[in-house]
Amino acid sequence: MPTLATIIGPPNVYQSAVIAGIESVTTEQGYEMRLFAGDERDHVLETPDLSGVLVVVNTASDALLGTIKRAGLPISLIAHQVPHLPIPVVMSNNPEGIAALMQHLVVKCKCRAPVFVRGLIVQNDAIERERAFRQELIHYHLRVPESHYLRGDFEPDIAADSIRQFVASGISFDAVVVSDYMMAIAVTQALRAAGCAVPGQVSVVGFGDAPEAEAAGLTTVAANILELGASAARQLISQINGVQITGVTMLGVRLVVRETSCPE
Amino acid sequence: MLTESQMNSIGKPDMKTRKATHSQLRLQNRQLLLRAVYTGLANSRVDLAHTSGLAKPTVSDLISELIDEGYLIEIGLGQSTDEGGKRPRLLEFVPDARHVIGVSVSGKRILGVLANLDGRVLVRHEQKLNGAQGQIVIDLLSNVINGLIAQLSAPLLCIGIGVSGLIDPQKGIVRLAPLLGWKEIRLAEIISRKYHIPTYVANSTELAAMAQFAFGQTDANSLVTILVNDSVGVGAVLDNGQYHSGSELNQLQVVSTDGSKRVLETFLGWSSVRQRTEAIIAPYLDSLLIGDELTYLHLRQAILDEQPDALAFQEELAEYLAQICSWVIMLMRPEHISLAGTISNMGQPLLDCVIDKTRELVQPDLLETITFSVDTSLHLVPLGAVAHTLQKELGLI
Repeated sequence: MPTLATIIGPPNVYQSAVIAGIESVTTEQGYEMRLFAGDERDHVLETPDLSGVLVVVNTASDALLGTIKRAGLPISLIAHQVPHLPIPVVMSNNPEGIAALMQHLVVKCKCRAPVFVRGLIVQNDAIERERAFRQELIHYHLRVPESHYLRGDFEPDIAADSIRQFVASGISFDAVVVSDYMMAIAVTQALRAAGCAVPGQVSVVGFGDAPEAEAAGLTTVAANILELGASAARQLISQINGVQITGVTMLGVRLVVRETSCPE
Repeated sequence: MLTESQMNSIGKPDMKTRKATHSQLRLQNRQLLLRAVYTGLANSRVDLAHTSGLAKPTVSDLISELIDEGYLIEIGLGQSTDEGGKRPRLLEFVPDARHVIGVSVSGKRILGVLANLDGRVLVRHEQKLNGAQGQIVIDLLSNVINGLIAQLSAPLLCIGIGVSGLIDPQKGIVRLAPLLGWKEIRLAEIISRKYHIPTYVANSTELAAMAQFAFGQTDANSLVTILVNDSVGVGAVLDNGQYHSGSELNQLQVVSTDGSKRVLETFLGWSSVRQRTEAIIAPYLDSLLIGDELTYLHLRQAILDEQPDALAFQEELAEYLAQICSWVIMLMRPEHISLAGTISNMGQPLLDCVIDKTRELVQPDLLETITFSVDTSLHLVPLGAVAHTLQKELGLI
């Protein structure tokens, strides 16, 4: 059976959803999927009957990506870009998502003093979301000091610590834009534990959606992570079938207003 | 929304064209009925026969065909008339019966969208050009179309392409697109042969206006879009979509604020705006951290910070845009004028400036019936290409 290799990082909720999306397509199309993590990644090209490779975020080095590309194997990246390599990419539309969140916060909720919790700044999604946030600030004529950009690293515990310290500093703020939904849930819990009413005093919004976000009542943009994996698999299989693809495929996002911000 | 008079205009024979053959007449009637359901004007065979004036058997025959092809579905029974009789079977348009690809090819990038028949964007695909020209751009255009085809979840109806340049839309030929190194490129033929799908090519500015007419927020029956990116152009949709056209104005001679005469591109084209912006924001560029490339947003930030040079530059840009607006108003009397393209990142403050300066150039009462807007949509041209193909293939717009 032809095999697709998927290079992944340490287990997390996001990655599990991406893999499920990939599998929904590969199974239907008659491919076997094999996962490669840790040191196994360097041996991906030794896989028997290997037809193509998918890479989830930045889990493969640029050198490894270059080696796969030079070997002539079809390859697609998921939520990651390497500008100097002509490898096609599938990702969520980060600017569109942040724009929707900011419109909701500024226009509907009348927030004027947002704080931003960053993702891991070596990851494409984290960089794009922060850039989009900064651009939206100009659209709405808002000034946010650099001290209001908090570390999160896509780790809920780190995000929660950062917001606790920020609250303790006594600086006034009325909204928190968080670079992913798991961190946003942790930030909401930390704020409430510190006595801040969410959304009464502070609105919190995240990026991405899942049952955890729904259970937490988080306002977020639904970037369909299952569809992200499925779209990447479709893109890769097209390449395997001889179709030339370059550039970036971007999937749409949708604002989902729940209980951590004002009603729509 | 389509009015009955617009609806009737579809069925009117064009006296300038040849006598319609039976198949042309059938196609025209089919489009008439589909458009009536699409726009909500009628939702049953009885309504359609009444509204269109077509015989009931003709309506039934064409509706069966449209149902077989998946464009319409029956969704249950409606109310019978006061006189009683059978309850009509209600019809509904199926937006996902087909998908359409719309692409914009500009000097910097190719941006494509996969959309359904309602103009809802399902997927985008972007390819930077990095200075590519000629055949390489055509190859990259194919790569973008391939990327979108990979994501299809319904049959592909057609492909629409917008190009910044001199276009022959009837023949689908790009006569001249200097930024792309294209001259006399039979683009529609190249793409339709490759994909075996009807393909349409038009000017980008025309398509930007088409997008606003078909899918935008305005209800205007006539509108003009001033599109400012690398180049400067004006697109117009008039007479409720019956007439649409567009062209670049880059080489138009205008009088500058210092009295000298130069082509419009040297004032409003991004390459010259960028040079001016670089000088204005140089003192605090490092602290902005907006993105990798200089954009209109940097200039807007400087304006928000009330930098005198930036404010003066905004006034200057508004002067040139007001000249375009005043010509447009005097010639076409549109109901709506929109500012679009990358310059839209300058937002409402620039638009307010433009309106004030336009007021100085035309009789004030002419402005009273015109609405203005800024459209920041990134995929206006690809979406316009979708609207254009829907008009050509299905008569929906």
